Amino acid sequence: MRGVLGAFRELDAAVEAIEALKEKRIGAIRVFTPTPRHELEEAIEAPPSPVRRFTLIGGLLGCTFGYWIAIWASDYWPLVVGGKPIASWVPYTIFGFEVMVLIGGLSTVAGLLINARVPRLTMMVGYDPRFSHGDYGVWVECPPEQVRAAEEILTQAGATEVRRER
Amino acid sequence: MATVAKPLPPRDEPRRPNIATAAVQLPAVRDFEQVDREIIRTLRPGLGWFIGLGVAVLALLLGISAWMYQIYSGLGVAGYNPPVMWGVYIITFVFWIGIGHAGTLISAILYLFRAGFRTTIYRCAEAMTVFAVMTAALFPILHLGRPWKFFWLIPYPNWRYIWPQFKSPLVWDVFAILTYFTISSTFLYIGLIPDIAVLRDRENISPIRKRIFTVLSLGWRNTDNEWRHFARAYLFLAAFSTPLVLSVHSVVSFDFAMALTPGWHTTIFPPYFVAGAIFSGMGMVFTIIIPLRKWFGLKHYVTINHLDAAAKLCLFTSLVVGCAYMSEWFVAWFSGNEAEQSFFANRIWGQWWWASSILYTCNMVLPLSLFVQRLRRSAAWLFIISFTINIGMWFERFVIVVPSLSHEFEPWQWTSYRPTWVDYSILIGSFGWFTMWFMLFIKQLPVIAIAEVKEIIPPKLRKQHEHGVDPAGRHFEFEPDTPGEYA
Repeated sequence: MRGVLGAFRELDAAVEAIEALKEKRIGAIRVFTPTPRHELEEAIEAPPSPVRRFTLIGGLLGCTFGYWIAIWASDYWPLVVGGKPIASWVPYTIFGFEVMVLIGGLSTVAGLLINARVPRLTMMVGYDPRFSHGDYGVWVECPPEQVRAAEEILTQAGATEVRRER
Repeated sequence: MATVAKPLPPRDEPRRPNIATAAVQLPAVRDFEQVDREIIRTLRPGLGWFIGLGVAVLALLLGISAWMYQIYSGLGVAGYNPPVMWGVYIITFVFWIGIGHAGTLISAILYLFRAGFRTTIYRCAEAMTVFAVMTAALFPILHLGRPWKFFWLIPYPNWRYIWPQFKSPLVWDVFAILTYFTISSTFLYIGLIPDIAVLRDRENISPIRKRIFTVLSLGWRNTDNEWRHFARAYLFLAAFSTPLVLSVHSVVSFDFAMALTPGWHTTIFPPYFVAGAIFSGMGMVFTIIIPLRKWFGLKHYVTINHLDAAAKLCLFTSLVVGCAYMSEWFVAWFSGNEAEQSFFANRIWGQWWWASSILYTCNMVLPLSLFVQRLRRSAAWLFIISFTINIGMWFERFVIVVPSLSHEFEPWQWTSYRPTWVDYSILIGSFGWFTMWFMLFIKQLPVIAIAEVKEIIPPKLRKQHEHGVDPAGRHFEFEPDTPGEYA
């Protein structure tokens, strides 16, 4: 992977660099930011996160399992309590709900880990510790013939440091 | 999660009013570097921390010793007096579960409502939740005659071919509390990941700690892709935690409300328990956050406006709880049920008048002082009130559990209850257990969410804002109305 990294002190400079790179259609852009900002999201124009699908599927499966385990166990060991049905849906809604939250929540976390590609034990190319403190980083992965143009755009936008990495 | 850098009003516009709103700001915090420096600084342990940890461990050892004695001698050494077979352990179980609820309210519900004042207090509140649930979960086990058989409540295939009774509120409790603990600790950990990455990336860190933080941060790199999925996952976890916080204490209230005992068999219990839980948790949040902001020099992060806003929430929950108390009295009178009326008379004017007086004074009367803005903006007064709320809420559970069991339908059932030294030691031990975990937490991980605080600090901009505001974009400062405080 070959590309150019630009480090920015100011948010608007990073946004300007991303917009210019997109306009010139140079490489694939990745942004490092110490905190999420809507300005960067809008400049990148990323699609909606698919984590919601993990949440929905996990929640539905959990709810089903919660009802099922209560009904199955009651049927397996039938014991009439208070003259009510063996499988009584009113109290079993508690299990449906609790297991829905449990499995839905854990599926959400699984969705985050899978989509964000974590855990990762080695740092990716272009990452710099300062991006978790206060600076913004714009990493452009591009072919050798576009490296020069990318460097110029990043410098013009106000990058405090521009360097090639591979 | 994400925020937009909005232009601030020009200097000649009137300054923002000196009152707490949902969107409190941090005028004394200038940039991201200051946030990192000042919050990471709190991780250095001092003498006071070691003393505090030592006291907590001693209290825990006292509780463990008492429990060992109880296992050796049997449950008879606790103050149970039939038919009062629920005592300090169940009271304290409900108390600690309740404490946890304010943490989830602040971290999840206020997050969904976009209440800005939660930002600097939610990490402490979330950690408080996890440790409070860890403490609460011990008490049903302590209450068992054979505590080593506690796992029989969990449904798993076994050689006995026996499954738990799913119509029992005690099994509902197991599911509710396990879910609550799992989701709360997951929520806490997920929120911590970007902050652990900050700790990992700082200079002058020992190689061992760097390795630990590298593993714990899961190799977090602050990319736009990570933040995009993180924000969505955090939102959904908050959305799951919100009904969970309402359901868990409702389920705990079913332990009582499903019984026919006077004082327990009432439909008001679920909302009454939830409001009480949030109220008690707010009290504990103040008890924790007020000394911390002073000892760690974080008064400009947890400002007097933050405390003021949280105090308003505390006052509101106090009014809800007070309304629930009055509804109980009204229902007892209006129902015409003699057993219920006799029980309430005994609770308020009879045998348990002293416990009821403590409860009503601490939970209904004293919190009314928070209507006074000057008192809401006094950290000292809030700290005092938080103590009285903690005491009052423990007694609320005492008044729910003991008077009902000691004054059931038949006069021959009427009796008394007096906790023994074993009960008191285990109660003290529970505070030691909770405090020990909290003390360890505050010196290993940041007590204020670094990444979220950075979201509310205006970012550095190269260009001028439209209104000609300083590019550094600092929030406006003004004279605080409380000496020595930031607002």
